[in-house]
Amino acid sequence: MSIHPPDRFTCEEVFARLDDYLDRELTPDELHLVRAHMETCAACAAEYRFEQGVLQGVRQKLQRLAVPDGLMARITARLAAEGGKDAAG
Amino acid sequence: MDDRNGGTAEVAAPAATFEALLEPVLDAAYGTALRFTRNPADAEDLVQEAALLAFRGFHTFQAGSSFRAWFFRVLTNCYFSRYRKQKRQGTELALDDTPELYLYCQTAALGLHARSEDPAAEVMGRLETEHVEAAIAALPEEHRVVASLYFMQDFSYQEIAEMVGVPVGTVRSRLHRGRRMLQQALWAVAADRGIVAALAAVGSEGA
Repeated sequence: MSIHPPDRFTCEEVFARLDDYLDRELTPDELHLVRAHMETCAACAAEYRFEQGVLQGVRQKLQRLAVPDGLMARITARLAAEGGKDAAG
Repeated sequence: MDDRNGGTAEVAAPAATFEALLEPVLDAAYGTALRFTRNPADAEDLVQEAALLAFRGFHTFQAGSSFRAWFFRVLTNCYFSRYRKQKRQGTELALDDTPELYLYCQTAALGLHARSEDPAAEVMGRLETEHVEAAIAALPEEHRVVASLYFMQDFSYQEIAEMVGVPVGTVRSRLHRGRRMLQQALWAVAADRGIVAALAAVGSEGA
């Protein structure tokens, strides 16, 4: 039966919050405890760095998108037609 | 049925105002629509349809709030109502057996962590955009929608919950699980394309 101080997180407690930490969804108290743990636990810090690296990599790849030429113009034309319909109606 | 309601004239604030707000978010909207629908033609249709719906409902947009979040809510709703039922395809990943830290464990098993300062960059640097797109496309729909809003746009759990119309806890669990499935799918792609073999050789290619 291990007891740990309430002001510290164990590796298990940090691991359970890793996703929320990555997503910046922790409460300020939890954030503080996770960060404090990472400063002294190389294993958890390495897992976090890895997950963060994958997340950033995924985001970077997905940003490179070719939007169809003229999409805004086609939307503008549809909106103009819509406006004309309103005016006529 | 009140889309031609002439009572409040110029309901739709001048189109120019709407367009000025829409244009900066259009690329992101198209990118997300592409992740939702998984093909360019449907993605463009979805964005155009959402733009039209948003324009008609523009009077409900509260000035000062986030147009981006508001428009993405319209886009997501539009996807659910128009496209969702067509797309029950058999290409989706199974929900079971999605271990945590999948890529971390696989790369550790290859010994990559001992041979590289940044093992995540070693993996991600070798994957192409199309690989990541294919991995997202393979997610089950409800996970794909949440993951697309998250990976493409960095919305908060709360914002995504409002867009999708589910509780925040549901967004959280779908996103966490989606991320695990995505890692599994990325690794499968990496194995197919010879990337895993290349990772096994990292650090031994020459000093």
